[in-house]
Order: sequence, then structure tokens, then C-alpha cells
Amino acid sequence: MNNATPPTNSTSAEPPDSSSPRRNSKRPKYSRFTQQELPACKPILTPRWVISAFMLVTIVFVPIGLASLFASRDVVEIVNRYDEYCAPSGSRSDKVRFIQSDADKTCNRTLTVPKHMKRPIYVYYQLDNFYQNHRRYVKSRSDQQLRNRNDENDTSTCKPEDTVNGTTIVPCGLVAWSMFNDTFSFSTNNNVQLPITKRGISWKSDRDHKFGKDVFPKNFQNGSLIGGAHLNESIPLSAQEDLIVWMRTAALPTFRKLYGKIEMDLRAGDTINVIMQNNYNTYSFNGKKKLVLSTASWLGGKNNFIGIAYLAVGGLCFVLAMTFTIIYLVKPRRLGDPSYLSWNRSPGGH
Amino acid sequence: MTSDRSSSTGEMNSDEFKSVDLQLQSSSSHRSISSNTWRAGSIKEVGVIELGSKGGVPYGSRKGGSSSMSMSRREIRDEDSRLVYVNDSVKTNESFEFAGNSVRTSKYSVLTFLPRNLFEQFHRVAYVYFLIIAILNQLPQLAVFGRFASILPLSMVLLVTAVKDGYEDWRRHRSDRIENNRLASVLVNNVFEQKKWKDIQVGEIIKFSANETIPCDLVLLSTSDPTGVAYIQTINLDGESNLKTRYAKQETLGTHGVENISGVIKCEKPNRNIYGFLGTMEVDQKQVSLGPSNIVLRGCVLKNTSWAVGVVVYTGMETKVMLNNSGAQSKRSHLESRMNKEIILLSFFLVALCSIVSICAGVWLRRHRDELDIMPFYRRKDYSGEDEDNYKYYGWGLEIFFTFLMSVIVFQIMIPIALYISMELVRLGQAYFMIRDDHMYDESTDSRFQCRALNVNEDLGQIKYVFSDKTGTLTENKMEFQYASIFGIDYNGEKTEFYGEEGGYYAQVDGLILRPKMKVHVDMELLQLLKTGNDANKHIYDFFLALASCNTIVPILVDTSNPAEKLIDYQGESPDEQALVYAAAAYGFMLIERTSGHIVIDILGDRQRFNVLGMHEFDSDRKRMSVILRCPDSTVKVIVKGADTTMFNVIDKSKNTDVVTETESHLHAYSSVGLRTLVMGMKGLSSHEFEQWRSSYEAATNALMGRARLLRKVAINLETNLSILGASGIEDKLQEGVPEAIESLRMANIKVWVLTGDKQETAISIGYSSKLLTSKMTQIIINNNSTESCRRSLEEALIISRKAITSGENASLLALIIDGTSLVYILDSELEEQLFELASKCAVVLCCRVAPLQKAGIVMLIKKRTDDLTLAIGDGANDVSMIQKADVGIGISGQEGRQAVMASDFAMAQFRFLVPLLLVHGHWNYQRMGYMILYNFYRNAVFVLVLFWYVLYTAFTLSTAINEWSSVLYSVIYTSVPTIVVGILDKDLSRTSLLKYPQLYGSGQKQESYNSTLFWLTIADTLWQSIVAFFIPLLAYWKTDIDGPSIGDLWTLAVVFLVNLHLAMDVTTWTWIIHASIWGSIVATIICVIIIDVIPILPGYWAIFHLAGDGLFWVCLIGIIIASLIPRLVLKTLVQHYRPSDIQIAGEAEKFGDLMESRSAEIEMNQPQR
Repeated sequence: MNNATPPTNSTSAEPPDSSSPRRNSKRPKYSRFTQQELPACKPILTPRWVISAFMLVTIVFVPIGLASLFASRDVVEIVNRYDEYCAPSGSRSDKVRFIQSDADKTCNRTLTVPKHMKRPIYVYYQLDNFYQNHRRYVKSRSDQQLRNRNDENDTSTCKPEDTVNGTTIVPCGLVAWSMFNDTFSFSTNNNVQLPITKRGISWKSDRDHKFGKDVFPKNFQNGSLIGGAHLNESIPLSAQEDLIVWMRTAALPTFRKLYGKIEMDLRAGDTINVIMQNNYNTYSFNGKKKLVLSTASWLGGKNNFIGIAYLAVGGLCFVLAMTFTIIYLVKPRRLGDPSYLSWNRSPGGH
Repeated sequence: MTSDRSSSTGEMNSDEFKSVDLQLQSSSSHRSISSNTWRAGSIKEVGVIELGSKGGVPYGSRKGGSSSMSMSRREIRDEDSRLVYVNDSVKTNESFEFAGNSVRTSKYSVLTFLPRNLFEQFHRVAYVYFLIIAILNQLPQLAVFGRFASILPLSMVLLVTAVKDGYEDWRRHRSDRIENNRLASVLVNNVFEQKKWKDIQVGEIIKFSANETIPCDLVLLSTSDPTGVAYIQTINLDGESNLKTRYAKQETLGTHGVENISGVIKCEKPNRNIYGFLGTMEVDQKQVSLGPSNIVLRGCVLKNTSWAVGVVVYTGMETKVMLNNSGAQSKRSHLESRMNKEIILLSFFLVALCSIVSICAGVWLRRHRDELDIMPFYRRKDYSGEDEDNYKYYGWGLEIFFTFLMSVIVFQIMIPIALYISMELVRLGQAYFMIRDDHMYDESTDSRFQCRALNVNEDLGQIKYVFSDKTGTLTENKMEFQYASIFGIDYNGEKTEFYGEEGGYYAQVDGLILRPKMKVHVDMELLQLLKTGNDANKHIYDFFLALASCNTIVPILVDTSNPAEKLIDYQGESPDEQALVYAAAAYGFMLIERTSGHIVIDILGDRQRFNVLGMHEFDSDRKRMSVILRCPDSTVKVIVKGADTTMFNVIDKSKNTDVVTETESHLHAYSSVGLRTLVMGMKGLSSHEFEQWRSSYEAATNALMGRARLLRKVAINLETNLSILGASGIEDKLQEGVPEAIESLRMANIKVWVLTGDKQETAISIGYSSKLLTSKMTQIIINNNSTESCRRSLEEALIISRKAITSGENASLLALIIDGTSLVYILDSELEEQLFELASKCAVVLCCRVAPLQKAGIVMLIKKRTDDLTLAIGDGANDVSMIQKADVGIGISGQEGRQAVMASDFAMAQFRFLVPLLLVHGHWNYQRMGYMILYNFYRNAVFVLVLFWYVLYTAFTLSTAINEWSSVLYSVIYTSVPTIVVGILDKDLSRTSLLKYPQLYGSGQKQESYNSTLFWLTIADTLWQSIVAFFIPLLAYWKTDIDGPSIGDLWTLAVVFLVNLHLAMDVTTWTWIIHASIWGSIVATIICVIIIDVIPILPGYWAIFHLAGDGLFWVCLIGIIIASLIPRLVLKTLVQHYRPSDIQIAGEAEKFGDLMESRSAEIEMNQPQR
């Protein structure tokens, strides 16, 4: 009557004859992974390693710093602020009134070339205190509309500059609406016109893919408030390079935008006459307008910051390397010495 | 006998505790009630029974006395009861539809999955935060991110969790379906038919046979045993593997054929108490009371009984096992609670950042209030409509408010909410490695380490106190009979290896050879004495008879490979009794059969039948049990077995004074070597005495009120004037590796406290053998019976301990031994404080004779007063409360029930696994988790700060140069994988070093990986790194034609590179997985940035390609990375040089130490050659 019960001393259900090999053993399968014994490299901050790391940084950073400084030094840059000069002196409201009026806004400036400038010479306009990165502003555009004719009415993001009298504006939005519209023409002092290339100032990728070849301006600047430049309605957006440049909104509130290139060398001492149309209203928000002529180096424009920063870091690392060398020489510590273990040091421990 | 309200003590007590379910009401009744049921066959005709015959004995005079008792029965109120009409499920379910027997452990159905799963997920604060942010972002005024980008992180997390939950639930569905479709034979129209489990209804009658699992809770009606006994195994219920007896009522046995049974059962409403049941049955106009011994529960297995029939009372979800099926309550890890404090700090930072932004924005708007209308980059006026009104401008105050909310959205990841998810994943990974650890696999039980809770992994690295149970935890709980003191003579001679396959005692029954399953060492001298069989050996004879008969062991025959040979497996609730019966069998007193009315013992080849006339089971007050036997020679004997303290009170010392004193000295010797001792006594009963006892016994067993108390009184009256037989010493073997483990734990500065139900001498001796106590230690022993004396001894002890410390002696040499009685007066009184002070000065604390709740009280004593983490480890139900109270609870999945395991956070098979668990895995878990949390703070804050700095240059308008997709993907793809991988895999030290220097565990106890200094250092570092990462590009690209998306890409790449290299700098063990994850993330980031930049409708189209063609970009990137990491590297180097941590030195020793050792070894090898 007794039905054989397996031995129940252990909770596991093992067969009664333990001699037979256990088929379903729960023993974890051995692998170096599960036992956390994968081959591994264990770097340790040894004195030699630390010192050589700092030295390496020094060796790399100091030359780069010097190279940047030299590059920056070789860049010739002419910066001319013209917004004050080209408006009648007086209060700000006078200037605003002037810029909003129909008065002639032609303005002449003379620039002197301090050093020889090799072509190409980049002509920039620089705006200060202009927040092209303002949240209201950056979002106020429709990339669909710019790219594709069929998405013309995709203007939901463009408010309040989306329609005028019920018809869609192309290109819509505040960004396009506020397009910069000062113009510059250059001539040398003997009245030779300096040709300025406006072709190829925008990114090729933008021209090819971002701005449609079949998208033409429509109803642009037809509203009651004119924000800036007008566009030729017969030229497709992909060819409107000033617009394309302007639509690449600047990251920072002080920015330059490429106006054109002068494909000629300028000699030191040359004077350049600039005839400009001072149309763009920066007076209403205390913005500054500057005209910039600059050559370029491998690092871009004239900026000593990177060079100084690199020299500083390189120098600091050199000092650190020296300091650590001294520290390790004066007070060496044998690595992995068990006598440094806290329980070996403090007599109270066990 | 001391009035000990802390339940029982004494040798058998620890076993007694094990069956007490602490979560439930005291279950002391179930034993006394089950003793009542012996009545079934207890009062019977005294007949001389032919020896050697089996069965066929007329059993039990059935008494119809139970109906007269009905008046005193505790009535169940009608509204609290359910009525079950036996064999009439239609009528039963008429008035109230009881639940069917189908069970559902699954949580969801197809329809409810979505709402319920979402509802459950949103119980987590983290998700609610995510949701609120996402909802805020949907408001048009606040839309910072695009619709889709803003809900992506939340929906991804929800999706992953939902898939996980769904999969788990699908598995539950599947197992439910299998369970519900199992078959059982149900009585339908007087024929038993196979029916699916789910179709079983309350009131039906079910028949089940041996080894079948019981489908629902049943009241037994009859069994194959004529007396109505059924043996069941409750391993699925409480994990105890031994057999338990259940009884059918005689009244239902009587009816011939179950088809004819009809009656009404009135019983309690379903409840969780698996040890309690209260009901009455009306059969043939008679009221019969039903108790817990009359029901069998779902999940039990019928054993050793060929069939049983019962009526269904509870089904499906209302069965006791299903009602008990709730998960363990969750604990929160220490590190996590600390982290939450820091997260609150971070949220203050967040509020501060948002306030700065919104205040500045307010000031900006105020200063430009006259210009806003036509300002080209603001243009408040909307001219498109008829009337000129403001476009998206809600007034100064509201604009500030909206700016605040928007900045919360933009800076949301300052609160590293994803950290909670990362932590869960990391814990999962850590658990995987703990489970898979070969060093924590126990071969003998074939069990792995189990992680039952995932919340406290890292607490394992900070434990300061270990509270350990003794029996089954430090010891194996495999009792082995070692010494016998018989009538004053100590038989402890050399044990012979006399238990091979060929040796050992066996009995022959009906041509079958029966052998005991477990072999026992025997004393040859004693064996010889028994064999010679002269008169002087009567005491020895009686002694072994007592061992073989005075117990509740059930012998079970087990087949062997040899058909002519069977093994006897002794099943019983107490391992001590098992050991004694095996011992008796080895000496030739083999218990081979037990029914409810008699036992058959093969005495030296001679089968003898003893009628069991009555039994007074063990209870914790008497601490002894007795059995009343009618011997084959018709004499009636009372055999008593129990703890020495209570036995000597009932032994007639006048008879054999010297024997008693001899035995006492032997007992002392036994317990001082760590043996568990029991004393046997015996007396004969005259027929007068017997009749007297019998009438009072019957009255007591039939009583329905206070039955236990009455029975105890009868027992106390009976158990007097015994003559001493002897005493036994049972060895409770230490588990393998326990002394070494304790030594390691002590080296790791973990205090090990042993809390045991054993008596003081046994506890101390186990203390010695487990190396917990050493002879050098000063022992402070506190055992008192009153508050006053406790106070006095505590004060004295404190003076001693202070003296020991001031005298310069090492305080670690103090050991405190305190007993449960004293603890009764100390715990929860003003003396607690003194005890704590004393205990914290002692290296070792041994608490003996403690009740389960006192164990929890001692844990609370520490927990209340210190921040130190506590760990409790135990194996039995008596440890449940302590396991639940401690910060980390560990259950030993060994011999005893599974209740400790069920309540525990982790379960393992051996005490010694505590060493790898704490020193290795605990250490790793803590280091990893601590680092991961800090790193996550840093990682998110550095990104938020870069965003914040930029906002300062956008007229405080919360535009971001970094593409919104990159912002969203930053914590999802760019930086998430390496944190998790490093959190799972990085090892600061190898297993070997951690085990070699247990002191290294101190780093966790001292919170070296996560503390407020580190937090503030991290924040400072974050600030520096964000400044470098933001301002280098800003200054380099100032006054250039850089566009937003381009510089945004630079910042994105710079931050991601930086954050990943920062991590790389802190990784100690570079495996290929870590390489792959860190470099892989960087590559993935580059790929993502490229993908984002080839979408023409995003403003940043092609930016990355233009940027990468520019030398300045690369110069900036390298400059940022180097300049950011320098301070960290310098600080790290200086700290490592001047204040090297133990971990660091050990790590160096790992790398360079081998060289030194091998070099010195070489020198040593060379020397002898010279």
C-alpha cells in the first residue's frame, strides 16, 4: 500500500538514486561572463602614466595654441560700425523715424586696408544684440514651404507672418520677413569698382536640397509692416542666396553673415570707398551694424581665444607634470604596498 | 518552571517554532487538536494481538458523544459563515454563487491590459513626473519640444515595461490554463467522473488518490485508511517536506459509500490562515465539529494513502493557498533613500535654474517693453488679422510664469528620472550575476542563489550587523544521535564505522528486507550488551523502546533497486525525533508500522505490536511528550520524553538518586560539546490508574471548549513519578564552512549575532565550535527573572565592559550572552538603551532561548538606534519576523519550510555563501550602484547646464541650439548604455582580493562610494565641465557666421564625448563589453547626429558636415575634452597619492603585487641552491 515516496529531506526534487547523473542540475553553466571573469585590462594611475599624460597634453596643445595664434595674427580684418554714422545724430527715436521714412539712405564710408589682404576677402555684415536665436524667432519659419512648392500652405509655424489678406506668404515667418537689406558697393580710391561676388555665399546643401528650385516668393513683404528686404518674385528661393544665408539663423546674439566675396588682393594702405544703403532698422532695439572685411585662415577669422586657451592648458599641464614629478620624487609611495592598507596603518584595527 | 511568556524553549523548542506561522494567529491549537483525533483509535478494546499480523484489527469504538457537545461549541455567526451542502453543489450555490475553482494569477486580460498596466505603471512617481512634463509640453503656450519628441522617452519606457509585464503575464496565463485544465474525479450522479479543475464547485465530492495534487480546499469525508487518516505533504503550501496527518470524521466514515453522504457544513468565510479552520458538519442530525486537521488544502499532495474523498468547501481564488499568494512587501535600499535626498537637492537646483531664467526673462521683457511690437526677432504685433492685436503674448506676469514652466520642460532631465529605470536594469543585471555565481551554488540541494527582491542589492555592501538563526542556518539541522546515557551509564565510546551498505541493522518482514534509510554510528559496546540480552539490560531495552515508540514518526517504505529490499524512511515533524528513531533502528528497535491505533516495532528481529492508547503531544509549556502504550504483555506503560529542565521535575528522584545525578552530569557534558539533549522517563500504570487517566483523557478530548488546556492538565497529572531511563545527546552538525565564514565576516567588521531558541549551554558550545566565541573572550552572561535583576546585571556588565575598554584591553574580546527571559524584561523597556550600549561594545552577542518576536525585537533594537544596516538570516518560520524587519533578509533554502525563503529578499542554501554574497557581490553592487547614481547626476546635470548657459544668450527664451531630438536621445541613446553596463559589470577589485582582505568590505560600511562630499564634488566638477564645454565654443565662435544647429551639434558631440570619456576615466576593469558600450555609444551618437542632420526639413540640415570640415570644430572638441577632465584627473591623482583608499591599494597590489610576490618567491627558490 505504501507508494514509494522520494526522500524528502531536501526540498529539491532529485531522483532517489543519487548515483544516476543528474540531468536537470540547476548548477549555473560556467562561463567567464557569468562568473565575471572576462579578460580585462585594468589601467592604474601610476606616476609614470600621469606624468606622461600631462606631458603629452603639453606637447600637443602648445604647438596647436601657437599655430592658432599665428593663424589669427595673419588674418586681416577691417571692422567698421556704420549704424551710428549713417543715421542722423540725435535720440534713438529720431533714428527710428529716419529709418522708417522714405528718405535717401545712401551713406559713404572710407576704409583703410591696414595690411595686405589676400583674396578671397570675405565681406560680412555683423549685427550686435540681434537675437536670431530668440525662441519666437527661430521657430517662425516653415522649412516645408521653403523646400517644396506643394507645401506652400504649410505655414502653421509662421504666425504671425503667415498670410497677408488671406493669401499665403512665401517665404513665411519672421526670419524671412526680417531679412537684412543693407547693401554695400566697394570701390578703390581711384574709383575702380571692386567686384563683389554674391554667388556661392550660401551652403551648397541648402541651395540644392533645402530651398526649392520651383518655389518662388509670393506676397512677400506685402503686409503693413515691412521687416526688411524684398525678394525678386521671378527668382526661385534656391537662387536667393542672401535669403539662404539669412535663414541659417545665427547661434549667438552677436553674429556675422556673409555678404559677398571680393576676389582681389588688397594692398596695405589702400583706401576703399563703400557706398551703402542703410535700410535695415536696428535702431528700434539698440542693435549695432558693422561692416567686416576679413581674410580667412584654417581656423576661420581673427580670434585669439583658441590660441590662448590652448597655450594656457598646455602650460598648465606642463606645470602639473613638473609638480607631480616633484611630488613623486619627494614622497614616493610604493604601489600596492599592503602596509598602506587602513587596517595595517591604524593600530586599533584588527 | 519559569513563567516564560516568550513561548517555548528547551531542546525541542526550535522545532516547535518552525511550525508557528508568525504572520497568522498563533497556531498552538493545531497540535492539540490533532492530538484529539487520536481518539479515533485510542480508546479501544484491549486485545492480545497476534504478533506479525498486519491490519484487520477492529478499530475504534465509535462514540456518538459529539452531538451532546454541541451546546458548548463556539458558534459561527450566520453572517460570517458559508453553508455547504455535501454532494449538492446546486443547492450550495443557490443562495450565493461561490467562486468557481478556476484560478487567475494573471493580472490582465486582453481588454484590461492597457488601462490596468498603465495605471500600475503610473504608480511610480518617476512616470508621473514624465507625464506631467509631457502634458505641459502639449500646451501651445509651452510647446518646447515637438509633440512626438516630447512623449518619446515616456512612451519608450512605458512600452518596455508593458512588454515586460505582458510577457510575464502571458506566462502566468499559460500556467493558469494548465492548472485550470487539470483533471480531478468528481462525484456526479453517484459516479466519479473526470472533470476539469476549473469546473469544480463548492459542495461537490472529490476523490483523489496517492501522489495527486489536491485541487481545492476540502473537508475530508473518508480515506483508504479505515480510521480515516490521510497523510499529506504540504511542500507547496509551507514548504515543509514532512508528512502531516489529516483525519476524516468518524461520522462520515460510517456511511457506507460516499454517495450516500449528505449533510450541511457550516464553516468560516474564506481566510488566509492556513493553520486554522473552524466549522461544523451536520450528518444524520448530529453536529460534528471540524477543525484544521479535518481539511486538506489546495496544493497539498496526498501521500501514503491510496485514496481519500472530501467535500469542496473553498474553491479557486478563495482557497487558502491562493489567498496567501501575495508578494513579499518591498523594502527600499539605504542607498536609494539617500539618493532620494540628493534628488530633492537637485530639484532645488532645477527650481533655482528655472527661477533665474524666468526672472531674467521678466527683466528683459520689462526693459524692452516699448520695442517688442516691431522688434524683428520678437514682433509682438500681429498684423495679419483685421485688428492689430498681440501675437502669443499674455502679459508680463504670465510670460514669466510660462517661461518658468518652459524652463522646467527644457531642464527636466536635471532630475534624473531615467535613473530609476537604469537602477532597475542594473539591479536586474546584478541579480543575474548573483544567481549565476558558481560559488553560491549548492550541490547537495542542487539549488542556486535566489534573488527574491530586487530593491536591496546594494545594501549587501554596507551590512554592519548580521543576525543569524542557529538551527538550520549555522547548523545543518540534520540531527545525528551521538551519545546515550542509559540509567546513569554514559555510552560514548568510539564510534565505529558500522554503517556501510552491508552493515547496519535490518529487519525481515514477509520476505522483505527492511533497512533504515539513514545509517547511524553505533556504539559497539552498547550493541553487544543488547545482544547478550540478560536482565541487567532491561534499562537499555526500555531506553530504546522509548526512543522507538515515544514519537510521532511515520515510517514509510521506499523501493530500492533491489525488489526484495525496502528502505524505511522516517517522516516526522521534528528532526530530533527522526534522529532518535533512526538511532533506535540502528540498535535493533525498528519502528516499521504506525497506524492511528498501534505501532509495530521490530525488536531485535522480533515483531511486536504496541497499542497506542493515548498520546500527549509536545507543547511548549510542558516541553515534553508522552505516549501511553499497551505492551504485548498487556501491561500499560507511560513513556515520557522531554527537555531536561522539565523532565527532572517529574522524575521521581528518590528512586535512583545516583542515577539521576549521574545523568545530570552527563547532560551537562553533552550540552557543553554542543549536543541537543533529551531525557526519557517511564512508568507503568496499574489498571486503576489507567482507568482514571482514561476517563479524564476521554473527557478532555471530547471537550470542545478549552480542550488543549484540559488535555494539558491530564498530561501533567499523568506525567509524575517517572523513573529515569536515560538521556540522549543529538549532534546538530555545523554547516560546512561556518567557522571560516564567521571569521571572514568578523574580519570585515561585521558583527555577527546569533539568535537561537536553544538553551544557553548549547548556544555557547555552538558558539565555540563555530569560532564565534574564543577562549580568550570575556563572557558576560545575563539571565534573570525580573526587571530589577536585569537592570543590576546590565549595570554590572556595563562597568565590566567600560573597564575592559579603559584598561586598554581590546574590546573585541567581550562576548554577551543573554537569554530570552531576560529579554522579556529588557526589550520595550527603559533598559533597552543599556542593552544597546552594552551590546555595541561587545564583539559577539549570543541570544539564547529567544522567541520569534524577540528576534525581530533585537533587530529593531539596532535599527532604531543606528543607521547601520542589518541583515537577518534564517531558515524557519520562526525567523520570518526578523527577516522582514532587517534591512536585508536572507532565507536559507534548506531543510525546513519555505516560509523564511518566502519572506526573504534573497535565498541561498548555505550559511557560508554569506561571505561571497556580502564581501564580493555586496561590495561590487554597492560600488557600482553608488558610482552609477553619482555619474547619472553628473551626466544629466552637465547637459542641463550647457542648455542653461545657452539660454542666457538667447534673451532667456529657452531656445536650444541643440536639436530637440538630440536632447531627447541624450539620455535614451547617447549616454544610457555605458552607465548601465558599467553599473553591472565594472569591478573595482577581483573576487580573490575581496576574499583575501575581508576588511575591504569596510568601504561600503563607511559609505565611501556615495556620500555628500562626493555628491558636492561631483556637482562642482559638473559645473566646471559644463562651463568649459559651453564657453569654449561660445568664445571661439563669437562674431562668426556660425548658425545655431551647427554649434548645437558641436555642443552635443562635446558633451557626449566628455560624458563618456569621464566614465571611461573611472572604469577600473576594461572588458570588451565595456569597451563596446562606451565606444559604441560615441559612435551611435555620431550616427544619430548625422541622421538628424540629413533630414532636409530640419533647420540643421547638413550642419555636421560643414562643421566637420572646419578646423575650429576639431580644435574646440579636443580642447573641451582635455580642459574639462584635467581637474578631475588632478584631484584623483592627488587623492590616490596622498590618501590612497584601501580599494585602490588592493587594486594596485592585484596588478603589481604578483610581480613582487613572484620575485620574492624566485629569490627564495634560488637561495637553497647556493
